[in-house]
Amino acid sequence: MRGTAVGRSNRNQSRIIGWLFIIFAVFMIAAFYFYPMIQALLLSFKSGRGANLHFTGLANYKRLFTDSVFLTAVKNTFLFLIVQVPIMIVLAMFISVLLNDSKLRFKGFFRTAIFLPCVTSLVAYSVVFKYLFGADGLINLALLKMHLIASPIMWISDPFWAKITIIIAITWRWTGYNMIFYLSALQNIDQSIYEAARIDGASSIRQFRSITIPMLKPIILFTSITSTIGTLQLFDEIVNITKGGPGNATLSISQYIYNLSFKYTPDFGYAATVSYTIVAMIIVLSVIQFKAAGDK
Amino acid sequence: MKKAMILLLASFMLLTACSSKTNDGAASSGSTDTKQADTSSKEVTVWAWDPNFNIKAMNLAKEAYQKDHPDAKVNVVEYAQADIIQKLNTGLTSGTDSGLPNIVLIEDYRAQSFLQAYPDSFYDMSSSIKAADFADYKIGPTSLDGKQYGVPFDSGVTGLYVRTDYLKQAGYTPDDLKNVDWDKFIEVGKAVKAKTGKDWLTLDPSDLGLVRVMIQGAGSWYLKEDGTTPNLAGNAALKDALQTYKKLMESNTVKIISDWSQFTGALNSGDVGSVPTGNWITASIKAEASQSGKWAVVPTPKLKNTPNAVNASNLGGSSWYVLNVPGKEAAAEFLAKTMGSNVDLYQKMNKEIGVIGTLKAASGGEAYKQADEFFGGQKAIQDFATWTTQIPKVNYGMHTYAIEDILAVALQNYLKGADLDSVLAEAQAQAESQVK
Repeated sequence: MRGTAVGRSNRNQSRIIGWLFIIFAVFMIAAFYFYPMIQALLLSFKSGRGANLHFTGLANYKRLFTDSVFLTAVKNTFLFLIVQVPIMIVLAMFISVLLNDSKLRFKGFFRTAIFLPCVTSLVAYSVVFKYLFGADGLINLALLKMHLIASPIMWISDPFWAKITIIIAITWRWTGYNMIFYLSALQNIDQSIYEAARIDGASSIRQFRSITIPMLKPIILFTSITSTIGTLQLFDEIVNITKGGPGNATLSISQYIYNLSFKYTPDFGYAATVSYTIVAMIIVLSVIQFKAAGDK
Repeated sequence: MKKAMILLLASFMLLTACSSKTNDGAASSGSTDTKQADTSSKEVTVWAWDPNFNIKAMNLAKEAYQKDHPDAKVNVVEYAQADIIQKLNTGLTSGTDSGLPNIVLIEDYRAQSFLQAYPDSFYDMSSSIKAADFADYKIGPTSLDGKQYGVPFDSGVTGLYVRTDYLKQAGYTPDDLKNVDWDKFIEVGKAVKAKTGKDWLTLDPSDLGLVRVMIQGAGSWYLKEDGTTPNLAGNAALKDALQTYKKLMESNTVKIISDWSQFTGALNSGDVGSVPTGNWITASIKAEASQSGKWAVVPTPKLKNTPNAVNASNLGGSSWYVLNVPGKEAAAEFLAKTMGSNVDLYQKMNKEIGVIGTLKAASGGEAYKQADEFFGGQKAIQDFATWTTQIPKVNYGMHTYAIEDILAVALQNYLKGADLDSVLAEAQAQAESQVK
């Protein structure tokens, strides 16, 4: 072996220097991410009002299964997830393929227009949507004037339509964001593959199915995971458009956590428990998505 | 390694501690120097929301106090109510004094939740003010275990604001709505809608304020007297209120809204003929000066089938609290001399902002006797002050909003046709597991 004393001390020295470079970041992450995470986990085994917390073991986790408000929040969140994420992913892919067409003019304009929603503030756009979809808002007026509906749709105060409004809002906000990932991935697909397919006589639908989708698979996986996480953490839109109403019809898990901590008499322990269920759900869903996409 | 970690954590804490102090300095109105962190200084920091109401009132109190105490420093800081609740909760939980104000405004519905969740965090005002000086109904939410913690502030006394011109078209006068029950109110509403085509009132399906008004008028609440046991199933007043609410919803006279600006928009544009709500809406109604003389205020309707219901109720309202942090004595002294006893101050707050205080002596002042041309010469303030004394005292307890969210679901199911007793029983079970 070549391990002379000098070499070893050199290697040790460079290792120490390496650690010195990252030590600040490591401490920052430990202090502001891992420490609060562990504290939150400990907190989730406690319960009580405000500052009077006491250890209750698994009682909070048991409570989850009998808490119908929590179950409603989970149901709503999954409904948003199952309906909204696929719509948005498909829409984003569809638009990006259209925009990637080399014959399309004003490409920059269309890209900007579709991407623009995702640089608007969550609160600002939510407030605008609330007014657009109000009982006498622009959407209802337009539909009425076009004689598509006979009486105004209660977009915000009807339990069913309130969910639709939220789905429309988040789709509008996030489609452009996902589209950008698809666009960049599309530009990385070698045009010669398409040329070869065309020579072999593949139709454009066939090209899309057999070339575009397989080549985009990592991006599809990435966008569905980030969208899933985003939807599980849905908060701003719900609070600003419907406040979770009417009657918890649009309550999301994150809003329930907020309510438990600040709207009701605070029970930070139980709120932490609910937060950890989101962590568990995100892990499970991500594993499923990896498995479904066939990656190891 | 471990030592370095501790050192680093300690330096972070120091950093955050410093930054929170500078934040406080930045938030102050500029009239104060930045050495306020010194505990021996007498500066009193006050947190409140609503610049046109609570903040203005507190600033008047500050002026009044500084006349006699020229060296007193009062720093009034404005936050949104939701921010105050968050900051208080996180600050009180963390167990440190820094970053907390000396005086804070808390909504009456939430007061017990703070007083009970953070025992010893609030300063006992029993020796500074006399509970008997204030409207009876305010004492329930502001005291705990016989100790008076809050200085009762504004009255949320409700009234029924009506458009006299619409009533006239339908063949009624405001007198026909005086001391009536909600069924009569609905009947008049239908007549007004038939004659004028205008809706009778606005309702927000996710805000049960009107249900709260109805049940407090009958001396009942979501919780039993003890303030912790849910009182939904078998609560006759609540059942009556929900039935009345359904009747209203089905009367075809309701304009559905979903937020505050739609609410004030509807009443300013003349879309609705009546507004049954707290007196704090007066300023918003008067904002439409062209409607001067077209409004009148009559007592709140009462529940028809609940025997002890009265024509007076409350919606909202808040009170001042002193936190148990350094400087509490000065803060308590300031509050006691202003909001706690100064009748002249209440006259001024009434004239300039429209505050109807709950200090009993204040209603004897001249501002309360003014005839109001906007309400056709009615002595509206006097009327509100009279109704304030008739509001039934209930214990809001700790869980008003938690239960209301559960009740909102029950109400939705009931409106869709479910049986009232069974939805209330279900809500009761849910509430019991929620607030245990």
